[in-house]
Amino acid sequence: MQREGWSRRALLAALSAAAAVQPRRARALGAASQVDIAELEIPGASVHRPAAWKRLLFELIQTTSVEANPESVRLSPKDPRLFAHPFTVLVGDRALPALSDDGVEQLRRFVSYGGFLVFDDASGSRDGPFAQSVRALCRQLFPTRPMAPLPGDHSLYRAFFLLDRPVGRVVVSEVLEGVTLGPVTPIVYCPNDLSGALHRGEDGRDRYPVVPGGDRQRREAVKLGVNLVMYSLTSNYKHDQAHVVELMRDGKLE
Amino acid sequence: MIDWLLAGAGAGEGTLVWTTEPWIVGLAAVLAGGAWGLAALGPRSARSSVGARVLEGSLWGLALVVLVVAVAGPELVEEDGREELGKLVVLVDGSASMSVSEGGPTRAHVAAEVVARIREAHAPVDVYTFDETVRGGAPTDSLGRGTDLGVALDVVADRHLGQTLRGVVVVTDGIDRGALRRDVTAAVASETLSTDLVPALPGPVTFVQTASLEDVYDVAVDDVTTGGFAFLRTPVTVRAKIRGPAGRTVPVTLSREGRSVRSVDATLDDDGRAEVEFQVVPREVGRFVWEVSVPIEDRDAVPGNNVFPVVVRVVRERTRVLQVSGSPSYDQKFLRLFLKEDPSVDLVSFFILRTREDFRSGWGASELSLIEFPYERLFTEDLSTFDLVVLQNFNYRPYFSSGRDDLLLNIADYVRAGGALAMTGGDRSFDLGDYARTPIADVLPVELGVTGVKTDEAPFRPQLTEQGTAHPLTRLGATVDETRATWDRLPAMDGTNLNLGLTRGSAALLVHPSLQVDGEPLPVLAVREVGEGRTMALAVDASWRWSFSEAAEGRGNQAYLRFWKNALRWLVADPDDRRVVVAPSRENVLLGDEVRLTIRVRDAGYGPVEGAELVGSIEAPDGSRTPLALVTDPSGEAATSFAPTLRGAHRVEVGVGSRSADRGSTVFAVSNRDPELSEIQPDRAFLEQLATLYGDRGRYLGPDDRVELLLDTDARRRVPDRRVVVLAGAPLVAVLFGLLSGAAWMVRRRSGGV
Repeated sequence: MQREGWSRRALLAALSAAAAVQPRRARALGAASQVDIAELEIPGASVHRPAAWKRLLFELIQTTSVEANPESVRLSPKDPRLFAHPFTVLVGDRALPALSDDGVEQLRRFVSYGGFLVFDDASGSRDGPFAQSVRALCRQLFPTRPMAPLPGDHSLYRAFFLLDRPVGRVVVSEVLEGVTLGPVTPIVYCPNDLSGALHRGEDGRDRYPVVPGGDRQRREAVKLGVNLVMYSLTSNYKHDQAHVVELMRDGKLE
Repeated sequence: MIDWLLAGAGAGEGTLVWTTEPWIVGLAAVLAGGAWGLAALGPRSARSSVGARVLEGSLWGLALVVLVVAVAGPELVEEDGREELGKLVVLVDGSASMSVSEGGPTRAHVAAEVVARIREAHAPVDVYTFDETVRGGAPTDSLGRGTDLGVALDVVADRHLGQTLRGVVVVTDGIDRGALRRDVTAAVASETLSTDLVPALPGPVTFVQTASLEDVYDVAVDDVTTGGFAFLRTPVTVRAKIRGPAGRTVPVTLSREGRSVRSVDATLDDDGRAEVEFQVVPREVGRFVWEVSVPIEDRDAVPGNNVFPVVVRVVRERTRVLQVSGSPSYDQKFLRLFLKEDPSVDLVSFFILRTREDFRSGWGASELSLIEFPYERLFTEDLSTFDLVVLQNFNYRPYFSSGRDDLLLNIADYVRAGGALAMTGGDRSFDLGDYARTPIADVLPVELGVTGVKTDEAPFRPQLTEQGTAHPLTRLGATVDETRATWDRLPAMDGTNLNLGLTRGSAALLVHPSLQVDGEPLPVLAVREVGEGRTMALAVDASWRWSFSEAAEGRGNQAYLRFWKNALRWLVADPDDRRVVVAPSRENVLLGDEVRLTIRVRDAGYGPVEGAELVGSIEAPDGSRTPLALVTDPSGEAATSFAPTLRGAHRVEVGVGSRSADRGSTVFAVSNRDPELSEIQPDRAFLEQLATLYGDRGRYLGPDDRVELLLDTDARRRVPDRRVVVLAGAPLVAVLFGLLSGAAWMVRRRSGGV
């Protein structure tokens, strides 16, 4: 197959055609090497949405080269097994209770040494009790690094898909927020109920309606989810000079 | 006879002195008295008369008195003196500027002829050499690194204080670098010249100059500065100071390792000086000789200062790493975090975010933030700009165009030429990446070509090998025990890529605890030196657990960071991290200085090699070689010293075998950054001023003048004459003692004594 000199789109199209007839092969050396998602469980405060994460991981497998295990596990913030799952989410719709010192210390270590933590606000309200308790927890974790809106050129918005807005089941905010440590943002707060847009019932149908954009918005929510996982793996990769120059050349960045 | 008995003191006049400490004399007298008492008062025969006893006692007493007098150390000191012709003192310049030749014999040679003529015509002559100091005798060489005429004249004045000399002769080129010339020059400028500036001498002085101003033609590179070290791929400025005839334009050339790099023209200003700059970009790490040179003309007075060598140590400011990953993963994430946070690393990452298998998902290209993988540029023109290429679970085949296997050959060639390659495990690596029977397989430390199942997915804890305990890559603790303990506590891996064992010359640092290949444990981490480069194979894709699991237990991520830092440092193979390392005590030395060379030898596992027989040589600029034959000590080191005698680059090459990895080399530059050779113009005015300051007791003679010295023919000196006669050793003492004691014995025998 002669590809030299082809445009990128032509190349992608050609590879798409080739891919249709090629089987997917066995993955990874062991299951533990695959990407999965851990849900943090805080009794009485966290929301359990394993189907949302299963869907996200499935989309990840179908869309990207990431090797994922489409399963999620539920862990306490104090559970040492947390360090086997570098991508962790905490979904909530109400104020979080104060975590124990052990829990805070473990979360701080988890985030400091490479873990990624997503707070997903399922309340559908702007700056509600959950958001405020997340901010308080972040202050407790990193007193000198308060949670702040992520700028429009943040790598997370182009980690895989080009995102205009970080939408979920709702759109109560136009931006994500996060705690940035050095060049990376290991804590991200999603105000728009991402997991609500991804969650499915046992019958396989979407569990919640997405407003105001319907299925189009749900599609964008999937893209946000993929970008979150991709960003957690590649961090500020999309800010590397080679990528910025190429994306600008393609007209995808200004 | 009498003179003999008195040891030559018979006819002389002088002073008698006693040289023995009084208490010793007293002790001798007491002992003598005791002995006399025993002899005189001891038992006697009845036949012995009183007269005989008195006579015997007297004789013994006199004999003992002679002994006590001898013990007292009598010496006869005769002091006298005589007058001789006053001395002629000749001071000869032994500084390096006297080695200059004005087209004929050197100034030193001219000076030697002058001194020979003076010796012949005006004996006796005392000759001294002066440069920075003053010492007796004529110069044996012209290596002095300074000239201080003022000090030399002071020494002459002090040494002959109170005397009158026939004369003092100073033979020099007139280039004084001490205070005298500065003071005289300043006094002339300020019109405050006075005789107080020069030391009073005990005789008239003649200044003989050995060179004249108009004879000297010299173009020189006086100095070259580079800062001593440079950063790889970062422009560095080489500055050179050029000197020569005013107004002249001189081509100045910069060479590196003997090859001309570039040349510029320098026009000398009114003072005959110019400064030139060269901008160069080092492309290799190590010690390299750069030379700045100007052409040598036949009439050049000092050809040796037309080239100035300097050794520049090129180091990496940042290690440039290319990380190519076939799939975003935790392993890739943690390695990128490490590399990105290390300020000494310049990281270029390319991750395959989407494969052809993912294209069915139905997303539009405009929705994606993806760029084309620029593999052709990376593995052709950009490849040499990287110090290390990490192929992290990357399979080349889906991305490289068919017929572009030459890119794999490029990578292998890049390694052989000094690059570094690391391959880490995963389902796209090693045999699963189809690297068997490719140029990449030829440079990896493990054999590829596994058939059937190519991975083992059972968790396992890698075992540190003996070589691993010593190798810098796996050294996670300060000691071997600490290193072992750290590896023992690190978490298990999730599985491993299989291989067919080590390739030749490779070392296994971590092995599988149970899997074997050809009866040997399966290598999990292996390293290899290939040509000038290095490779590493890490057959797992979960080294990130060494970071995160440690952090879970509150130990931080030091084990992971240290492992990859070690790997980075070893893979990029700084010259100082080779198995045979030669280190000079200094890279740039002055002629006459001694260079100490230390050679360190390590084995493939980086343990010290004791008893290694090192053979090599030091190559001087003229091509001559000084052989080296050394044996390493228990710490794997051997050392030797070398005193260079030639200016220029000296190359040291030594090793324990012929393979590149078994040999080490270094280079050092010998220069003569000597002010004596940076200013060689004779200073006639200074010497004339000095002669003037001494008035009618000073004379200046130019190089073409007859050597007619200014002498004080009436000068005389009194030569003291002192003679000491040690009377205790005179034969008379022994004779007297013998006669007296013998007589006493005879009296005793005759009077019936025993």
